[in-house]
Amino acid sequence: MKLMTLFQDTVGDPRTAAARLAGVLGLYGALGDAACGNPAGFAVRKAATAVSIASVAGVDGVDRDALYYAGLLHAVGALDNAAYRKGERLSERMARIEAWDVPAQGARVCLEIPALPAQTSDYVRWQSECWDGTGYPDQLRWAGIPSAAVILGLADTAVRCADPDEALAAIAFQAGRAFGPDSSRIFTTWFHTYGGEADPVDPPLEHLRADDVSTAALLDTIADRIDTHAGVAGRWRRIARLTEAAAEALALEAEERKALAIAVRTYGAGDIGERADGGETSFDPLARLGIDVRAAHGSAAAALLEGNGALGIAAAILGARGEWFDGTGKPNGLFKAAIPTGAAILAAAIASDALDHKDRIDTAGGTQFDPHVVRAILEAARTHA
Amino acid sequence: MIELQERTRRISPSRLHEILMSYGCASVVDPFMGLPTHLNYLKRHGIAVHGGDLLEWFVRVGEGIVVNDLTILRDSEVAEIVEMLPGRIYSLDMFKAWEGVFFSEEQCVYLGVWHDNVRNLRSDGQTGLAILGLWRAFCYWLQKTQNPDDMQDIPPSELAWSYIRQTEQWVIANMRRNTVRQTDVLTTIGAQRADALFLSPPARNSFRSADARIWMWEAWWQGNPYFTIEHAYRDSLFGARAADAPAYARALASVLSTAENYPVIVVQTTEQRIGDIEAIVRNARPNVEIIAPHPYETYLVATK
Repeated sequence: MKLMTLFQDTVGDPRTAAARLAGVLGLYGALGDAACGNPAGFAVRKAATAVSIASVAGVDGVDRDALYYAGLLHAVGALDNAAYRKGERLSERMARIEAWDVPAQGARVCLEIPALPAQTSDYVRWQSECWDGTGYPDQLRWAGIPSAAVILGLADTAVRCADPDEALAAIAFQAGRAFGPDSSRIFTTWFHTYGGEADPVDPPLEHLRADDVSTAALLDTIADRIDTHAGVAGRWRRIARLTEAAAEALALEAEERKALAIAVRTYGAGDIGERADGGETSFDPLARLGIDVRAAHGSAAAALLEGNGALGIAAAILGARGEWFDGTGKPNGLFKAAIPTGAAILAAAIASDALDHKDRIDTAGGTQFDPHVVRAILEAARTHA
Repeated sequence: MIELQERTRRISPSRLHEILMSYGCASVVDPFMGLPTHLNYLKRHGIAVHGGDLLEWFVRVGEGIVVNDLTILRDSEVAEIVEMLPGRIYSLDMFKAWEGVFFSEEQCVYLGVWHDNVRNLRSDGQTGLAILGLWRAFCYWLQKTQNPDDMQDIPPSELAWSYIRQTEQWVIANMRRNTVRQTDVLTTIGAQRADALFLSPPARNSFRSADARIWMWEAWWQGNPYFTIEHAYRDSLFGARAADAPAYARALASVLSTAENYPVIVVQTTEQRIGDIEAIVRNARPNVEIIAPHPYETYLVATK
């Protein structure tokens, strides 16, 4: 599917394009969190908290918007970082050292997204620096750390704490160490002004320089990074070729094809938090043994996309990719036509890609997969072989 | 009350690493290294690093986190640094001159004890790590004199223990030979061959306004509370002889001409000072790329 058709035409409306980009960035942030084991929604809360603290610190305008996106993308460097990459076997010490590179890798990711405010990259780079010079990656110290990056560090500490009082105590204890005394004072002022809780905020769109082509290209980049993180570089592109051909053969509606295209790029997000070797690929893709794992990964990927204005249309496909044609699949035991065609195509394409002998998928027609879908996938596999 | 500077030079080693990688550099020399945490970063990422500075404590720290590949300070060894050891005679009055001016009586006693204990360490690597850890405790104290109510009262030995123990995480090998030396700029440049020379030259007359946390720690290491940094820089290339603008420009030009064998020279400066420096760099090298991600961080990458 060509890039331009991935999203609906915005008819030159920059706010619609910016909102769409914000949605894709939201997914990117959520993937970063998943990769390094943060709870769901961490990046959004960190961004909102940082923006709220910034209002007390006098950071505004484009700096504040940059701070929001730096909070949202704070952990994108964890994707493909050796400390978190699937299948890596590092000692605890080496993993900690590798994890120090997450902010710098995140900064490089932000630099490659020209639509973001220019400051975003530096805020991500220096969010983990400490006032006393013991932070990472650069061991900056004292006033050498930009104040907005310090705010991001304050927000991170606050969001990690179980309750606002604990955050206040933690940050006060770190005054002169992780945070400068002035920064600690700013947090105290914010705590007393806002009660230590930040209200959710909508992504600021004013300073995003978005267009749909680059947003679609960003989604492709995200898909590439998901695959690299999982050690299966190029997988989604192979699967996209199969699904596009199958969708064509089965005459899928344009909207369904768009949803399927997004699902192909994001289905790998479901197992991004797993560092162990193997995962889904350790099961025969046609065996019932991996059914729970496949359904769990599908549900996890769907959860990441649900509520996302730009990408949410793919959630139903992702959530149903563990269903079986004969109704014995998971999580909902959907039967035949109740399974979205996009989900059936995606599941069959994933299985086909993982098989050494592509024709073997024929044996699962009528049980695991819709026979029509199997035929379309087989034909596509032969065409692209 | 002592004045602590708001602005210090910012060296972002991750950014420097990106620049070095884009030019294919696998080794670098930094003759103005200062506190060599940036060299530690580059070392950690596989680059062979060589540093030089005139202040001894910077070089000692370099021996701990740049040259040293495996020696760390274990809990028991740290404990023997941060507290007075029974049976050892200490010069408790060594830093009495700072008492009441910068520090309390207890803090001055601890400074003397730490000085003696660190001087008695037999490993260069351990000495460097201890100096770095204790310096952070020292900076904490100085900051606390400015913000007494905002910062926690932490017992000196506990503060020092936590900072020294933390230094273990920066000890790592890169399977390359890394060096530091206490010498002037030109000697450092001439002593090594590397793919790149990184220069972050001090501003004109900067030794006169050096950060107290830097020169006081050299005074501590020397065991002389009356030490002044002008002393160390007196006969150096960027010392008093480079006090006026033409002399400063000549000094920088001589550094660049000494470095003619280096394939790549990276000069870090600021937006404010680039006007003075760019012309000198362009005079020395035909190709100069300017990378300016931030007003406080401007890089001139000069190639042949």
